[in-house]
Amino acid sequence: MEEQQLIAGLRAKDRKTTEYLYEKYSRALFGVISRIIFDKDIAEEVFHDSFVKIIQKIDRYEESKGRLYTWMANICRNSAIDKTRSKEISQSSKTNTIDDFVYGLESNSDTMDQVNAIGVKELMNDLNEDQRFIIEYIYFKGYTHSEISEEFDIPLGTVKSRVRAAIQVLKKNLDSI
Amino acid sequence: MDIQAYITSGKLELFLLGELSERERAEVVSMAAQYPEIQQELDELEQAMFDIDHKIGVAPSAGIKAKIFDSLDSEFKEETKPISNTAPAQGKVVPLSPWKSFAVAASLVAVLASSVAIFYASKFYEKEQQFTALLQEQSVMADNLNQVKLEFEAKDSQLDKLVAGDFRLVKLKGESLNMQKDASVNLFWDQGAQEVFVAVNNLNELSDEYDYQLWAIGDQGPIGIGLVNEGEKMTLQQMQAVAQAGAFAITIEPKGGSESPTLEKLVVIGNVA
Repeated sequence: MEEQQLIAGLRAKDRKTTEYLYEKYSRALFGVISRIIFDKDIAEEVFHDSFVKIIQKIDRYEESKGRLYTWMANICRNSAIDKTRSKEISQSSKTNTIDDFVYGLESNSDTMDQVNAIGVKELMNDLNEDQRFIIEYIYFKGYTHSEISEEFDIPLGTVKSRVRAAIQVLKKNLDSI
Repeated sequence: MDIQAYITSGKLELFLLGELSERERAEVVSMAAQYPEIQQELDELEQAMFDIDHKIGVAPSAGIKAKIFDSLDSEFKEETKPISNTAPAQGKVVPLSPWKSFAVAASLVAVLASSVAIFYASKFYEKEQQFTALLQEQSVMADNLNQVKLEFEAKDSQLDKLVAGDFRLVKLKGESLNMQKDASVNLFWDQGAQEVFVAVNNLNELSDEYDYQLWAIGDQGPIGIGLVNEGEKMTLQQMQAVAQAGAFAITIEPKGGSESPTLEKLVVIGNVA
């Protein structure tokens, strides 16, 4: 289904289109949330609320401001970040690291998860220390770039260029996997 | 305009992560519309971000899909095609339906309004509780401050008296007695102003049934001039006035003190030099 068609279907509140959307994007969107929130029950609760919100607020999406996925991912990421700052989640779960995440997948009995663990490790290959730090804080700990700048006393411009460099490494790794 | 510098600044990545302000977002959108290279980079990055999320993503459990579609059930529009050929029959129902939809709408509005009301009521209640708690906290702090102020004034006037007065030091010791050999109390006496302070250096702690009582021993024999708190070490305790004394002594007396000293329980004594 083309993105145009997909968006039109969502705006028309069509169930089939919504199911298609779910099949295509739920894994990535749930990934955005579950790497920030380790507790699976809470992550699923946030995912439920985010997905419902996406469907209900589809009229607020504007094609001119980016692709549908980006808009949806932002909703999920922001909900996850909001959740980690709420009372329900202890501060400890904000100390997520890439290694914890991989370990969590590896120790799961689900073979799919174990395969994923290998994928995550491959993807994170070749990140240098600074880039790994950035990915860990932005992707797994739900920090914003300005929070990183403030908390670790790194100039904003440096944070930005490291975000860029880190994502470039991941992008390159994607192609080679 | 250095397009390459704009692309490598990291701004596009932050745009996709949803971290730019409204103004910066608008700028990226208009830059992308203006420069195809930027649009292309943005497209590639969006695809990469999705691929990364998908690659390290995890499928949610099966139950969650059912739950989501349950929640969304009322959102979906009913399929209208199958009933389109029964249009004439529908025509008859039309006069009734506005009524129904008004009723439905009205009850929805009622439900919505009540839940909004309940929501704000609970918010209000919460805030009110917080406010009451703050008020209480404030009054506790005011009390504390007042107490500190009173203590300060008392110390200040003690200090004034000590500095301005003509105090002599009488050391009360337990060495020569059998009760507490290492007991030691300093007594400051301004005979002219008739003021007495004691500072406990060392007195054993007493059980609740007993008190230490200070005696001024003069021509009329011992006169009780107050109870000494053994716990308040190294602070000045003001005692009752005395104009004439040859010696001071402290005994252990039943709680509240006695009329005359229990001499067997004499703890410290000191002569006025």
